Amino acid sequence: MAEEKKRRAVATQTAAGIPKFVRGNLAATLKAKEEGKKVAKAFIHDGQDEIMRAMDIVPAWGESFSGICAAKRDAEKYLQKAESDNFSRSLCTYATCHIGFEMIREELGGVMPEGAPWGGMGRPDMILGNGQLLCDPRFKWPQALQHYLRDVPVFVTNMYYPPWDPNIDHHEQEGFYVRYCTEELHETVRFCERVTGKKMDWDRLAAVVELSDRTWDLFVDTYDLRKAIPTPMDTGDAMNTMVPITFNIGTQEAYDFYVELNNELKQKIAQGIGVANPEKYRIIWAAGLPSWFALNDFQYFNSKGAVFPVEVTYRDHEKIEKLDLPKTDDPLEHIAWRWVRYWTHWYDAARKIPGSTPKVARIIEYIGDYKCDGVVFHSAFSCRSWHAGIIHQAEVLRKVYGDIPILIMEGDIVDISSYNEADTHNRIDAFIETLDAYKNKKRN
Amino acid sequence: MTGLQNSNGLETADRYYAQYGSRAKELKNEGRKVIGYMSALTPVEILTAAGVVPLRLKGFMDEAITKGDAYMETIVCPFVRSVFDAAIKGRFSFMDGMVLPHQCDSMDRTSDVWSYNLGLPYWHFLNVPHVTDDPSIEFMKEILRVFIRTLERFTNAKITDEAIGQAIDDHNENRRLMRELYDLRKSNPPLISGVEMMKVLVAAMSLPVSESSALIKNVTEEVKKRKAPADGDRKRIMIIGDQIDSAAIAEAIESAGAWLVVDDLSIGGKIYWPEVDKTADPLQGIAERYLRKLKIATTFVGEGNTYEENLEARFGHLRERITGFKVDGAILFIYKYCDPYGFEVPAMKSYIESAGIPVLYLEDEYSTSTLARVKTRIEAFLEMIA
Ligand code: SF4
Ligand code: SF4
Repeated sequence: MAEEKKRRAVATQTAAGIPKFVRGNLAATLKAKEEGKKVAKAFIHDGQDEIMRAMDIVPAWGESFSGICAAKRDAEKYLQKAESDNFSRSLCTYATCHIGFEMIREELGGVMPEGAPWGGMGRPDMILGNGQLLCDPRFKWPQALQHYLRDVPVFVTNMYYPPWDPNIDHHEQEGFYVRYCTEELHETVRFCERVTGKKMDWDRLAAVVELSDRTWDLFVDTYDLRKAIPTPMDTGDAMNTMVPITFNIGTQEAYDFYVELNNELKQKIAQGIGVANPEKYRIIWAAGLPSWFALNDFQYFNSKGAVFPVEVTYRDHEKIEKLDLPKTDDPLEHIAWRWVRYWTHWYDAARKIPGSTPKVARIIEYIGDYKCDGVVFHSAFSCRSWHAGIIHQAEVLRKVYGDIPILIMEGDIVDISSYNEADTHNRIDAFIETLDAYKNKKRN
Repeated sequence: MTGLQNSNGLETADRYYAQYGSRAKELKNEGRKVIGYMSALTPVEILTAAGVVPLRLKGFMDEAITKGDAYMETIVCPFVRSVFDAAIKGRFSFMDGMVLPHQCDSMDRTSDVWSYNLGLPYWHFLNVPHVTDDPSIEFMKEILRVFIRTLERFTNAKITDEAIGQAIDDHNENRRLMRELYDLRKSNPPLISGVEMMKVLVAAMSLPVSESSALIKNVTEEVKKRKAPADGDRKRIMIIGDQIDSAAIAEAIESAGAWLVVDDLSIGGKIYWPEVDKTADPLQGIAERYLRKLKIATTFVGEGNTYEENLEARFGHLRERITGFKVDGAILFIYKYCDPYGFEVPAMKSYIESAGIPVLYLEDEYSTSTLARVKTRIEAFLEMIA
């Protein structure tokens, strides 16, 4: 996702181009003013990307900004600034890091704080949030930020999907969920029209959505290439190569990036080049955002012959045809269906494995498809969204799948204070031993 | 009905507080079904209309978490962990089912943990939205219909609009009665202490609505007969937070030499002020109360034209309480790992301070073991505002 003090080696050339993407996204927010464009502080994975792209609104990604600060190990000053106004250290550190940065800038009368990573991020003209199931900061962070940016309007949409309940047929509920999401997306458009003073060009939106769909498919096809043994790319790289699909969906650049990655992976497979040489263990990264300040830990795994051919994190896409989306002329309704079905299609998978849950069903599918021998979760303390419920996933996995080595690592995404490299490496070493024993047992 | 009419209200409240859920358990033994529920966001009217015994679940601050941590991460809000720990230890083993509303990540992200490990005959995750615009009201009505259908299937009985209408009346009446009791705290000194009141609030949420109303009436009559205590010089404190359901915190405030005169808690002020409007479709009124009238941090309010307007919409009710109950100082008591309330601290603090009321912000665990430290901070605060 970003460069660290000591850059981690990337196994693919294409991934090496990611810092350019990230810088480009930041630079776009700074350039927007000269180009007469509006900047929106926005969230990834919120369904609003295509609306912004079609309306020439430049997204300012707070999560990316904080991730960069973390990777540069330079987040502490922003975290402390937020803390000085009573934001607890136990809150989402993506949010508090970014809010701290904006607080400093406001105190400087709008001047970019010195040392802001890569030139910093432009001041938003609007803040877009989302009250979806995914996380509380998605609507509390905008509200909290407005306390310091009082002139900046906030709009929070709602993108819900049916909750998992084995006793309720989710297909019966999809209709009214999609209706609700669609209406909320229309509200988002109306809000953006008010702030930009421009009308939505619906044909352009349709074209952007169509490009997104193609990018989704290409992304999934490309990642599927990692099933090869040895795998040509692992999660260490994927934490970089997720940038275009996560932050630049709906743009030609994102699509082109995966064309390039796809070609490179095919080439590597043809030449038999893998991430680890020799590749001894294949592990799934089953949940959790990584510690951005410690991406080198992936290399530590690699140095032991362990690779991650697949991860759940940032793989928020599935082949469009698999989702079986109803036809519609309204691109916003299409986004809504894509969103709802992205979640519910795992429910069908879960129903086929008694006692399972959608998250576990997905892990089981990936273990099979990518021939994994072990499972690693990362539990980041400041984000409940992806990290509460991991113990349970591990437990259900053990029950319904059976014996497979599982490691739950603990840390954070931004806050380095709880990280200890030596301890982490010791835990990895112990896990590798378990993996080895497991593989031997399987062999005999 | 119990023989409550003849009993001493405060004593009964004390008993139900100390033996939380005991009445629900009795009713279960009499053949009723008991449904536990979390948070102010569960539309209790619907449970009442379904004929089940609703029991709002609470945690136990004086009990260490001994089992729950094996199932649920410690990054989950400590209140939720405490309730879960109690449940997994069998404290609510008489429950037939449970409702978990989508309040916050700590609830939503642990939904599977609850349903899977408790294995109750009835389970429902109620997907309450965070946003309150018109499409959200329509959506809320849809999810209420799904909720009703699951309850009907479970109880094998239809939940009619009439039954819901009656439940709305009963709960509105209950809210009015509780507000009358709150009124008795307006005098200086208040006729009922914060510690006593906390016990009444907790007891009330453990009872079917008719019994809860009878209890509140008894307490009110009893308290009205009291002579005001002599000590009128103490500072008058308001407490703000989510589910603070232990008298220990009120005790920490009052033993430091103040009166706890009003709260904005999700077991107290937050739920007893807003009523459900009577609407042709009763679900309309319910949806509006739970989305628009309940002032809790997990519903997004931000449609105002200016930030100041948004603040008024979010916190204006606090100013009313401050004036109505002549508050001298406010304590924000927020649990660690609570994003919804945690992110509002700066805005809420400055809003209250702008009304001229000093604020003490405390972030804490859900445990009496840390209360000594909390009490020291409260004492220092009281000294500061003396
Ligand atoms: S998903 Fe987690 S890290 Fe991202 S904004 Fe939400 S709480 Fe923060
Ligand atoms: S205190 Fe906060 S995190 Fe805990 S249940 Fe309430 S809203 Fe959720």
